[in-house]
Amino acid sequence: MWVGTFFIVFLAAVAGSSCGAARLYRFPRSARVAIQDWRPFNVAHRGSNGEIPEETALAYKRAIEEGADFIEADITATKDCVLICFHDPILDDVTDIAAHPEFRGRRATYEFEGQNLTGFFVVDFTFEELQRLRLRQRYSFRDPSFNGKLQIITFERFISIALEASRTVGIYPEIKSPVFMNKHVQWPQGKRVEDSFMEILQKYGYKGKYKSDDWNKQPIFIQSFAPTSLMYISNITDSPKIFLIDDATVRTQDTNQSYAEITSNRYLDFISNYVVGIGPWKDTIVPPNITTGYLMNATHLVSRAHSRHLQVHPYTFRNENQFLHFDFHEDPYEEFEYWIKTVKVDGLFTDFPGSLHRYQEWSSKE
Amino acid sequence: MFYVSLLLLLLLAGSDCRVFQFPFQTNEPYNIAHRGSSGEFPEESVLAYKRAIEEGADFIEADITATKDGKLICFHDLILDSVTDVHDHPEFASRKQTYVVDGVNVTGYFAVDFTLEELKSLRLIQRYPNRDQSYNGSKLQIPTFEEFIAIALASPKSERVGIYVEIKSPTFINHHVKWSEGRKFEDVFLNILKKYDYNAKYLTKEWLDKPVFIQSFDPSSLIYLHNKTSSPKILLIAPDSITSDTKQTYEEIISDDYLDYISKIVVGIGPAKEAIAPVDSNNKLLPMTDLVDKAHARGLEVHPWTFNHERNLLLPFDYHQDPYREYDMFVNTLEVDGVFTDSPESFETYRRQWRIFSKRKRPYKNE
Repeated sequence: MWVGTFFIVFLAAVAGSSCGAARLYRFPRSARVAIQDWRPFNVAHRGSNGEIPEETALAYKRAIEEGADFIEADITATKDCVLICFHDPILDDVTDIAAHPEFRGRRATYEFEGQNLTGFFVVDFTFEELQRLRLRQRYSFRDPSFNGKLQIITFERFISIALEASRTVGIYPEIKSPVFMNKHVQWPQGKRVEDSFMEILQKYGYKGKYKSDDWNKQPIFIQSFAPTSLMYISNITDSPKIFLIDDATVRTQDTNQSYAEITSNRYLDFISNYVVGIGPWKDTIVPPNITTGYLMNATHLVSRAHSRHLQVHPYTFRNENQFLHFDFHEDPYEEFEYWIKTVKVDGLFTDFPGSLHRYQEWSSKE
Repeated sequence: MFYVSLLLLLLLAGSDCRVFQFPFQTNEPYNIAHRGSSGEFPEESVLAYKRAIEEGADFIEADITATKDGKLICFHDLILDSVTDVHDHPEFASRKQTYVVDGVNVTGYFAVDFTLEELKSLRLIQRYPNRDQSYNGSKLQIPTFEEFIAIALASPKSERVGIYVEIKSPTFINHHVKWSEGRKFEDVFLNILKKYDYNAKYLTKEWLDKPVFIQSFDPSSLIYLHNKTSSPKILLIAPDSITSDTKQTYEEIISDDYLDYISKIVVGIGPAKEAIAPVDSNNKLLPMTDLVDKAHARGLEVHPWTFNHERNLLLPFDYHQDPYREYDMFVNTLEVDGVFTDSPESFETYRRQWRIFSKRKRPYKNE
């Protein structure tokens, strides 16, 4: 009886602890259709956020319904070290923080990736406080009907959505702004955000090199703009990693390197020891002429990556006209066709996984 | 023997090679290039029409209106302000006018106040600011009706292209233009069609050789033409509107009685998409109306307008900004018989990828 009581107390203690939800999701792994691997990956960028507010459970479930191969999330940290899915460092643009007078005093200005930024910072709120907020669609030209209804989810909840699916769905989490996270969040016992990130992945059994049996059962890519984070976790995991590359004007947040440097042959040789691919902003691969609205000549980034056996997963593909260069005649499927057939990328981050899936299904009939 | 074959070959090459043609397709819903490939080029320009043909349109579509000297041109608006560089022509500054159009005052530079020669000095521009502006003002002129027909006839025979021409604002035109010999707009329009042998009954061999639809919002113009031409006619329909000529409401036009009546005159209707798939104030689809069924039940084809990816407007959210979903709804679910699109290329891709063959076979009997 004492053992039983102790067991119940233990369970309660575990359930009550902060710094990560205590639920351990377990799911049947057998008899699920494997992930496809013969055409470029359909990566649902922040879920199906063309239709539903980004990084919500609903957006991820919709993406899975629509045929995405991977669901993608930005993993950041709260004040009390809970890892959540949220893109921005501040809450202002996609939550109803402005409607919460109780938080008015939390407005702050911090230096964020080289610039001063003012707003309500995620790192200044506990997870429980964030749960009081409701998300909204970022873009005014997208469907607002879910505004005010959906909450921020944890990294673990995100993983559970993938594992709950009736077919194999991969996850594509990003270690987001690790420099900022490590500076502002009080991690226990000298840990870093990367440690906490990896603990959760390991808890749910994510392991194995790209295309290993383990990986095929639970596909994953770990992405980051910070090369040192990727190098750090290389000592902890053999899961495949992707090095994200920003616009040509942006320097890496941790190593302060320029675009020219991190896309040089020498650097690609170096980073290919740690990553299986790169995730560049698509306008740096094939730059547009801002005046005419048409694409200029493609750079050689893709072929240089491919010759080092690096995959290329550019971001971000969006259906709306204002995001489509004139070459594509206002047709998002023409854009898919160009990037898949001409540029020959290995995966695409898209806000509209449903459209990409339909395009891929069509074009694979031929 | 060799020389005979060579001679035959040369003769064939010199002729229009009718033995090598593909028949005009009627198995699939028509790809009607609305004002040409107007998503890419300024509307109703030579380039827009040529591109549409390249992209596989079945029909190139034009609004036919008239100049001061009674010449027929391809131009959509009554005024020149939105799609030409008339504002850059100080010599025309005094031509600005205000006329009453369907009970409303409209101010601008009216095409009917310019001769053809004057209009030819203008240059076309892209109507929508978010579309490619690079052809603005460069070289594109307003085409005449005959120049438009010439483009269709010049297409390779293997890509036969039909013409889908609208008698535009006939009440206004007949009021403002002094026709010679007392002729009306509709007569002048028809004479040009007949000059180029567009005068055959729908789906006959002659029609398949020279495909044409005559469209109008004005029933009386179509009725006027009914006994003067065998060419098939389409009645255009817009919700929340009143016909200019007969002052009939939308509800009356789509009533069973009226559709029974007009189905003796026209082979189909061209409704706005919203007449079939209305949209609420939150940009979401409302339940579909029964207009397509009512039309099909009377053997009438349905060619909705306009599929255009966005302009400045959004597709209803239900389509997730995916033009192919919208095509799918109208073609697969609603089974319309043609679409007016600003992007004939995307509709062609849709048809090719889905290899659409109409479940409905032409010619349609009353169902």
